[in-house]
Amino acid sequence: MVEWDINKIKEVLPHRFPFLFIDRVLEVDVNQRKAVCLKNVSINDYFFEGHFPQHPIMPGVLIIEAMAQSSIILFASLKPEIAKLKPDYYLGKVEAKFLKPVNVGDVLILEVEGEKILDNVGVVKAEAKVNNESVAQAKLTFAVKINR
Amino acid sequence: MAKKKIDFEKLKEEIKKIVSEVSEIPQEQLKEDARFVEDLGIDSMMALEIVANIEKKYKIVIPEEEIPKIRSLKDVYDIMEKLLKTKKGK
Repeated sequence: MVEWDINKIKEVLPHRFPFLFIDRVLEVDVNQRKAVCLKNVSINDYFFEGHFPQHPIMPGVLIIEAMAQSSIILFASLKPEIAKLKPDYYLGKVEAKFLKPVNVGDVLILEVEGEKILDNVGVVKAEAKVNNESVAQAKLTFAVKINR
Repeated sequence: MAKKKIDFEKLKEEIKKIVSEVSEIPQEQLKEDARFVEDLGIDSMMALEIVANIEKKYKIVIPEEEIPKIRSLKDVYDIMEKLLKTKKGK
């Protein structure tokens, strides 16, 4: 499996700076319905300016956003013919646990696994890791809407 | 080996509980023939979550083409009955 570079990621994700939270896709396994993505957490990330000036930690909601973007990568790999139509992706429900803070310099690994993915909706299980240790876990439900 | 009979009353209770948890509708308000979308306000994402939870709990796969046909609790019961019977038969 070939890694995805940022250009391929941008073909699939509609997100752009400052809201693109995937730097690289390490692995997509269509049969296992799994995707592994990577984000380098840098002091240059814009949110650290305010979160927090003296103590920069990555906001939990943005870890969720990174998981959601990884889920789109997975969806697009499983349903390429739908992703091609550039649909809108909506997050519907999130159940999350945050286990450890994510700090500047961390390499955030996002693993998503499809529990059930249909053409217009999906449920995925996601885990974020740093140094192979779990930092957040979540279950995300999303909808996919094609613009006519 | 004697075929283990599936306890459908218990199954119905369990499924109702899953639907109630996902939809946040109290179990006593979940009538068997109430339509998910029109009467209960369950949207497609909740419906899929219900399907995913049921699949995980009973280790079955509800075929994709069957999912749009599920419109009420009774439809869930019917499809579960069908799926679990074939599963036991295997």
